Amino acid sequence: MTWLVWRQHRVQYLIGAALLAAFAAMIVITGEQVSNQFHAAQVACAAGHGCRHLGGLFMGSKVVGFLVIATLGTPVLVGLFCGAPLVAAEAEAGTTQFAWMQSVTRKRWLMVKIGWMLLAAVIWGGVISALVTWWLSPTNAEQLNQFDPGRFDIVGIVPVGYSLFAVALGVTAGALLRRTLPALAVTLAGFIVVRVLITLWLRSHYMSPVTVIYNVLSGFTPKGAYWQLASGVLGPNGQPLAQPNNTPYFDGIPQTYLPGACSVMNGPNPPNNPPPACAQALSHYHAYLTYQPADRFWTFQGIETGIFLVLAATLIMVTAVTLLRRDA
Amino acid sequence: MTWLVWRQYRLQFFLVAALLAAFAVLIAITGVQAANQYHAALAACAAGHGCRTLDELFLGSHAVGFLVISTLGAPVLVGLFWGAPLVAAESEAGTTHFAWMQSVTRRRWFAVKVGWMLLAAAVWGSVISALVTWWEGPNNALQLNAFDTGRFDIMGIVPVAYSVFALALGIAAGALLRRVLPAMAVTLAGFIAVRGVIAFWLRRHYLSPVTVYHSVTTSFTPPGSYWTLTSGVLFPNGQPIDQNTSGNVLSGVPVNYLPASCNQTTRGAFTPPPSCTQALAHFRGFLTYQPADRYWTFQGIETGIFLVLAAALIAITAVTLLRRDA
Repeated sequence: MTWLVWRQHRVQYLIGAALLAAFAAMIVITGEQVSNQFHAAQVACAAGHGCRHLGGLFMGSKVVGFLVIATLGTPVLVGLFCGAPLVAAEAEAGTTQFAWMQSVTRKRWLMVKIGWMLLAAVIWGGVISALVTWWLSPTNAEQLNQFDPGRFDIVGIVPVGYSLFAVALGVTAGALLRRTLPALAVTLAGFIVVRVLITLWLRSHYMSPVTVIYNVLSGFTPKGAYWQLASGVLGPNGQPLAQPNNTPYFDGIPQTYLPGACSVMNGPNPPNNPPPACAQALSHYHAYLTYQPADRFWTFQGIETGIFLVLAATLIMVTAVTLLRRDA
Repeated sequence: MTWLVWRQYRLQFFLVAALLAAFAVLIAITGVQAANQYHAALAACAAGHGCRTLDELFLGSHAVGFLVISTLGAPVLVGLFWGAPLVAAESEAGTTHFAWMQSVTRRRWFAVKVGWMLLAAAVWGSVISALVTWWEGPNNALQLNAFDTGRFDIMGIVPVAYSVFALALGIAAGALLRRVLPAMAVTLAGFIAVRGVIAFWLRRHYLSPVTVYHSVTTSFTPPGSYWTLTSGVLFPNGQPIDQNTSGNVLSGVPVNYLPASCNQTTRGAFTPPPSCTQALAHFRGFLTYQPADRYWTFQGIETGIFLVLAAALIAITAVTLLRRDA
């Protein structure tokens, strides 16, 4: 059976390996430049020559940066080109009739085919993620944004979970629809929908976020690469303040809520500290920041990977039950 | 033949129409909100209540904004799901043998199928582009970035040409490879490669860019949504200054090239003393850019390039298919 899987998929495996090798070469070459650039800037900054570059440093070439962001889409490729045809192409060509008549049982045929495909998906997701994580580490250290949606999704262990899910989705769609093209379309659409729903709505609820309420004059920034969920200003009664568009603001508070003494702060030559009457009025207001702390990054990666592994396992179960019950 | 095309594709046609309708509803609802928000902010700004919000205003919802950016990938879907299977699926199933034995000539079979598909691709591209262009209108007015790589590519007329090209690429790959899945992979890779090469390397050369030199102490901003290609500061001898050197910088010039009077450590407004101003006067800033009024010229050139590529691919496919033994 393993020999059969190799003969059926060797072209795909070789193309996949060639793509990974080309990607690795590009990432390693540009990644070396990036980390040298970053360390030089860091040394200059520490030596007191000015940290100007650290804020605005663009790391690496734009083209490779674009490619790295485009790895958001790589997990679905295994679902499309390896997962969806796994059963559907054989069903379309009628070769399942032949395959299921052999001495190898249908259960074993399915297990070996899916097993190798899942292993390939793990390698595909793992290699790409390892390269991207390494390439982005100076950028993450500088911009502290690895927890943000879109960055979280291409580093760490979640790409492996996404790849496994994509393959499982493709295999299931193919097994249920028994036609390759509709299965491909369903895989593509299903993957995007599930990923977007989880990223935009579910992920922020994995753990209760932390809300910090602080004085508007002092400011507050959590440590490290935290994930900001909401921020704003609370009025004296503790309610979030409306943010009208048609008024100037000072420290996040519309001028209309503040005494006239504060208006100099938005004038042409603002003093360093607000006048006493203004400072007193400001002390009644509090700012809030709701966020996920940076040290939850790996917990979130683990939870998200777990969710996608459970989804993948469920889909494989559905496929197995469907195929084993179906008449050949 | 037209009836045959309709029967073969009516399911896909309804699916696509439903998708486009859903997208249109989403865009229309959030687009009206964004436009209202923008006009309210603009009116407040004009009335002198502060323009703070104009810079930081995020228009529309995050999710729809994400959807709008992802229309970068919409053209290739046509190539994958309509283009690649057009000939390849029939070859795989053996139905070309049957189709090419009818009273309808192979040339006519090909012309009608490809013609309808090209029309569908053009409609797909233009409906999406029209919605996106309208939705992004306030954002473009606010951020003046319609010419930037990635924004240029989802608005105006280029998405129509991308869709037509993707379809032609899919048909050609399918006709040459005669197998659907390899044709789809080739279509996806080829589309990304051609788009990437043209967007990142070729597009900036459609017309010679404009370079403006200016004093480093005054800044220079061209009107409208111009496209910045390079900018920097030149030494008195005309050599560009390496912007990746570390150290303090005054008006883009590293302070170690300037007299000591330029070395200020306090933050905030700094008025350089006369000896410093005089030294700075020897340096010049430069900005190389494509002016905003070339936007539609660039759209036209890029559309033309992709239409020529599409026509060439269709011609190759036609020659291949008409010469092939059934």
